[in-house]
Amino acid sequence: MKRTLLITLQACLLAGIASTSFAADKLVFGIALEPYPPFSFKSGKGEWSGFEPEMITAVCERMKADCSLNEMSWDGLIPALKSQQVDVVLNSLSITPERQQVIDFTQPYFFTRALWIGDRSMELEPTPAGLKGKIIGVQGSTTHAAFVKKYYGETSTIRYYNDQDDILADLRSGRVDIMLADQLVVEPLLDNPDNSMLASKGVAPLDPLFGDGVGAGVRKGNDALRERLNVALQSLRADGSYEKIRERYFKSDISALE
Amino acid sequence: MTLSDISRLFFSDGWLQALAQGMVKTLGISLGAFVLGLAIGLVVAMVKLKGPRWMVVCANCYTTLYRAVPELLLILLLYYAGADLINLTLAAFGQPSVEINGFMAAVVVLGIVQGAYSGEIIRGSIESIPHGQIEAARAYGISRSLLVRRVILPCMLPFAIAGLSNLWLVLVKESALISVVGYSELLTAGRQAAASTKHYLLFYLAVAAFYYLITLVSSSVFRRVEVRFERWMPRHA
Repeated sequence: MKRTLLITLQACLLAGIASTSFAADKLVFGIALEPYPPFSFKSGKGEWSGFEPEMITAVCERMKADCSLNEMSWDGLIPALKSQQVDVVLNSLSITPERQQVIDFTQPYFFTRALWIGDRSMELEPTPAGLKGKIIGVQGSTTHAAFVKKYYGETSTIRYYNDQDDILADLRSGRVDIMLADQLVVEPLLDNPDNSMLASKGVAPLDPLFGDGVGAGVRKGNDALRERLNVALQSLRADGSYEKIRERYFKSDISALE
Repeated sequence: MTLSDISRLFFSDGWLQALAQGMVKTLGISLGAFVLGLAIGLVVAMVKLKGPRWMVVCANCYTTLYRAVPELLLILLLYYAGADLINLTLAAFGQPSVEINGFMAAVVVLGIVQGAYSGEIIRGSIESIPHGQIEAARAYGISRSLLVRRVILPCMLPFAIAGLSNLWLVLVKESALISVVGYSELLTAGRQAAASTKHYLLFYLAVAAFYYLITLVSSSVFRRVEVRFERWMPRHA
């Protein structure tokens, strides 16, 4: 009796070990449910595509991991990472000191500048003095929001949005005077006939608040996974797969600051 | 935009199906929350009418608190703080943290809010039962649980049904608030469709049409239920 019990126990233990080692190769990637073209957008059939979903697929191929996407609101990505609902966030997350206090990042996999967008007919100098008394729209919980809050918070009114598209809509209807957003995301949107009254008002200066490129976020202390991601990202760059994916979505090189 | 554009967006691009899936989720959340709310409401009503004093105080606190605080705030509180609390408790016992399932969280959060409202509706309805009917049942020596099942509940329903059907319709719309925590119900599906295709007006109107459809169908269901439950009631007219 004792023997059978022991054997059963051993079997359970072994099964347990086997299942955990299997589970280690299952990775859940968090993705913001707000579409953010061309980085990530959803089809009517429910499939995600864009630069980042393709990067996720490519990275997982290199790591030989079984990956799945978990959709949630942008605000909830870092909390979900911390509470182990997802293992990696590879979703336009800029590497900032503030975020580095709560999560760890891989090496950056792209760089982007922040761009001011305003009404074509309005003369706007995007300096704190030039935007005095103006209304600035930014997406909340972003590096743009942190930048605007620090330098423009005292003299201008800042409005926070959940969604890039809501700011553009308010910009068109004049409820916001100017917006600060990701250059790679908003520049293509300016070609849309709906936005013909909008124009670029210049690129924001480099600032530590914009972070040091965009990297994949992992839980603090999860160095093994971070290293695996770094190796995978490096090998994608080395053999040109990264460039192939990039070409499909962006005209210019985004792997370094110009 | 032409009709062929619209049909392409809805049919070949599959957004109609995405919205329909969103609607199924909205209905799922609403139904779950409604049932949970009814269960909580029934307990609260019973406690308020017959419970010991300290339980009555608790029940009063619950209904006042949850009807006073905006639902959106409660959802944020229960979803984020609730998840943290569960994981902290688990961590205190040395257990790994759990993933908060979006559907369950939505049902529990909305159900708890609904419980406060339906508790008051049910309490009022039970108090509307002519007391003689309950006394008559007691005079026959009927057991307590049988009294509830055979007398109080059937007699209460005609009074409660109008209030409850109202509550259901409010709940369906309230389920849209769950979109703030990123559960992909009907409104979230509509927002994603609008943002991905840049056809805002079209998809927001489509979402409105879906909510209208839910209301239309549930109104007719409730009308039938009402007729059935009121069949013992004296008819005036």
